[in-house]
Amino acid sequence: MEKPSWAPFILSGAFPRELTDLLAILIIGIAGLEASLIQYNIAGLELGPLILFLSVPLTCALASLSNTGKKLREELALFAYGGSEWQVWTRYFLRGFTCSLIAVFPLFVEEIARTGSASALQTSLLILAAVAGGAFYSAPSLRRVRSVEFAENYKA
Amino acid sequence: MTYLVESVSVKMDYPHSDGVLKLYDDGVTLKVDQGDFVAVLGGSGWGKSTLVNVILGLEKPTTGSVYFGGEDVTRSSFVKRCALVRTAAVFQRPTAIPQLTVGQNLSLALSMAGVAKSERNERIGESLAFFGLEKITKSYPESLSAGQRKRIDLARALAVRPQLLVLDEPTGDLDSSAANLVMPLLRGLNRDHGMAILMTTALPRYAAAARQLVHLKPPGFITPSNRVDN
Repeated sequence: MEKPSWAPFILSGAFPRELTDLLAILIIGIAGLEASLIQYNIAGLELGPLILFLSVPLTCALASLSNTGKKLREELALFAYGGSEWQVWTRYFLRGFTCSLIAVFPLFVEEIARTGSASALQTSLLILAAVAGGAFYSAPSLRRVRSVEFAENYKA
Repeated sequence: MTYLVESVSVKMDYPHSDGVLKLYDDGVTLKVDQGDFVAVLGGSGWGKSTLVNVILGLEKPTTGSVYFGGEDVTRSSFVKRCALVRTAAVFQRPTAIPQLTVGQNLSLALSMAGVAKSERNERIGESLAFFGLEKITKSYPESLSAGQRKRIDLARALAVRPQLLVLDEPTGDLDSSAANLVMPLLRGLNRDHGMAILMTTALPRYAAAARQLVHLKPPGFITPSNRVDN
């Protein structure tokens, strides 16, 4: 008699294979690296917070890619309402920019509270992180709406 | 003569892994003027939705041209076309932003069309009432049935008060009683408001509502072997 096996069912989906899986691995890796390098500094700059900034664009890309279905419905509606590519891009850039700014701002405030002022480097890093967050959040949408297949989604 | 929208000898080739699907072998030529009601009739897979996308600038034809208000817009976006002729589109698949309520969706569409804030609520109320949807203004689109979502799209298009309304199988997701209600509404919009309508359908009984009919032909398929034969 044939014996049913559950192993192929589980193993066929158990290994990371999506872009979002890779992003999750990288983010966790960066967090781990940050934790282990927190006590080191180069030329007076703490390595920990610098490495933390690397996680900002990746986390924004992960947030953007994790609900692709809903985003696609949103994009289809925006175009149907008469929106354009640059409007869709700006919409998501600002969302990623805001997410990054909210996330990184406490670090910035803590630095000001500790040292009494914010250096030009820290301010630049804050802006750079927010811009990178916006760019990485909006990139998947821009790629989607520019693809040849996008208009196919209007068909049933 | 300048038409609201005109397509001239539009053809589309769709490359497949095992050949090329050729839509509209003779080329689609149609003209929609102010107050016209044009129906495009064709079977499933004959390119009705593709033609709507080509007219709206969401897909580019392989050959042929599309004109809006007399201007060649074959390579232009939907936004550019809307600027030439105020156009609203209702697609086969309902389109609404899931995070916004029905009222907020309509309000956003109106603000994007440049309708003043003071006028929006009145227009939203009117168009939702026209389709019997006034009780679901605060509902989210995903909590509604396919038929209700289709009517929301129609209400949104109506609220914009377009010169040209383009509809891809407007009765597609509706049961027969709801579908039978939609067609007289479209005829009313065309007759009483002078709105030009371009509609696709697979059903001749719905196409009968139109004053002009464009018949699509079944697509051809060219495989590497029959290309050699030819």
